[in-house]
Amino acid sequence: MNEDHDRIEELLAGYVLLGLSGEDAIEADRLLSEHVPSCPRCRDAMAGLHAVAGDLALAVSPVQPPDLLLPRIRRGVAETPVRRRHRASLVAAAAGVAALVGLAGLSVQLGNRVSRTEQQRGRLLAAMEALQQPGTSPVSLQSQGETAAGLVEVSGPGVELMYVIGRDVPMPAQGRVYQLWLGSNGIFVRVEDGEFVPDDGLVLLELTVDAGRYDEILVTEERIGDTPASPSHLGHTWHAFLARAA
Amino acid sequence: MQEDDRLDLELHRRVLVGDRPAFEGLYRRYAPAAYGLAFRVTGQVSLAQEVVHDAFLALWRAPEAYDPGRGPFRSFFLSLVHHRAVDMVRKEERLRRRAERASNLERGSGEDVAVEVVEDAYLSTRRKEVREALLTLPPDQRTVVELAYFGGYTQAMIAEELGIPVGTVKTRTLAAMRKLRRALYRED
Repeated sequence: MNEDHDRIEELLAGYVLLGLSGEDAIEADRLLSEHVPSCPRCRDAMAGLHAVAGDLALAVSPVQPPDLLLPRIRRGVAETPVRRRHRASLVAAAAGVAALVGLAGLSVQLGNRVSRTEQQRGRLLAAMEALQQPGTSPVSLQSQGETAAGLVEVSGPGVELMYVIGRDVPMPAQGRVYQLWLGSNGIFVRVEDGEFVPDDGLVLLELTVDAGRYDEILVTEERIGDTPASPSHLGHTWHAFLARAA
Repeated sequence: MQEDDRLDLELHRRVLVGDRPAFEGLYRRYAPAAYGLAFRVTGQVSLAQEVVHDAFLALWRAPEAYDPGRGPFRSFFLSLVHHRAVDMVRKEERLRRRAERASNLERGSGEDVAVEVVEDAYLSTRRKEVREALLTLPPDQRTVVELAYFGGYTQAMIAEELGIPVGTVKTRTLAAMRKLRRALYRED
C-alpha cells in the first residue's frame, strides 16, 4: 500500500510540474479523478505539491510588465459579459435541485429584476417551472466516474434558452473548470458562456442556445482560460443524447 | 494565515462579484511575479505578455476556479501562469533553444531583472526562502525540477537530455519536491 502511494505521489509530483506525458499523464488524470479526492493521504500530498509548485514561481525575479499590458487587459475585462460575474451566489440558491433544462420563452420572466439576487432566484424558479411544462422530457446526463452528482436535461420544440442545474457536482481539478459542449452527428461545439465551477456542489447556468439543433450534450473538465476546439475528456465528464427537434 | 494571504482572499472575494478595482489590486500584486515567470519560461517578451494577459483574463472570467480551501491564492495564480507559459513554449517548439537557460537557474534569473520592481515585503521574503530551499537540493535533484518547471521539459525529455532512465527522473523529482515542501512549510 505504501509502495502504491509512493508511486502515486511520484506521478503527482510530475503532474504539478507539468512534466508528465503519454501513459503517465493519462494515469495521473485517472488518479486525480478517481482516487485522490477520496484518499486523505493523497489529498494532502497533492495539496503540498501544489503549494510547492506555486512557490517555485517565486524563484524567478519579478519583472515589471510593459505599460501597455494593463490597458489591454482592461479592454478584455470590459468585453466580458457581466452576468457571469455572479455565478457563485447564483448557484448557492439552487440547493436541492438537479436538472438541466431547455425551454423557450423563459427569458421574459428573468428581465427587469431589481437586483442580481432576485434575478438569480427568478432564474431558479423559471428553471423549476420549466420542468413542469408540457412537451418537455427530462434526460439525465450520465456521469463518468461519479455517481453521486446529478444533472438532468429537459428540452422541447423551439428551444432557445437552456438551464444547467446540478447538485453534488464535485470540484474540477485545481486549475480546471467545467465546460459545456453540444454535439451534432458526433461533432461537438463549445458553448459560449458554458464554463462553470460548482459552488459547494451546486450549479445553475442560464444559456441562450437552440438545443434542438443538437443530438448530444457533454460536460468536460478543461484548463482554466483555455478555449479548446474539442473536448479533452479529462477528469469528470457527463454526457447524454438529446431528442433532436422535428 | 499570513496577512498577505488574507488580503489576497479579500481581493479575490471582491473579484467574484465583479469588482474591477479589486481585480487591478491583484494585478498590481502579481503582475511582476507573473511576468517574470512567463518570461523565464517562454524566453520571449511577446509570449510572456500573451501568457500574463491570458492568465489575468482567465481569472476575471472564472474567479470561481480558485478554491481558498486548496491553498493560497498566490500558488493558484502563479500555477495558472506557469501552465499557460509551458503550454505556450510547447506549442512554439522552442525548448531546445532554451536548454542552457533552463538548466541554470542562477544565470537565468539574472537576465530578467530588466526593470527594478518594488514588490510587497512578504513576496520578497518568500522569494528568498524559495531560492534558499532550491539551493539546498542536491544538484541532480535541482536539475530535474528546473528542467521541468522552468524549461517546460517532460520527464521523458529530461531523461533523454540527461541520459538517465525515466524512473530516475521520477525518483529525483519526488525527492526534491518532498524536500522543498519540508523546507518551505516547516514540516518534519
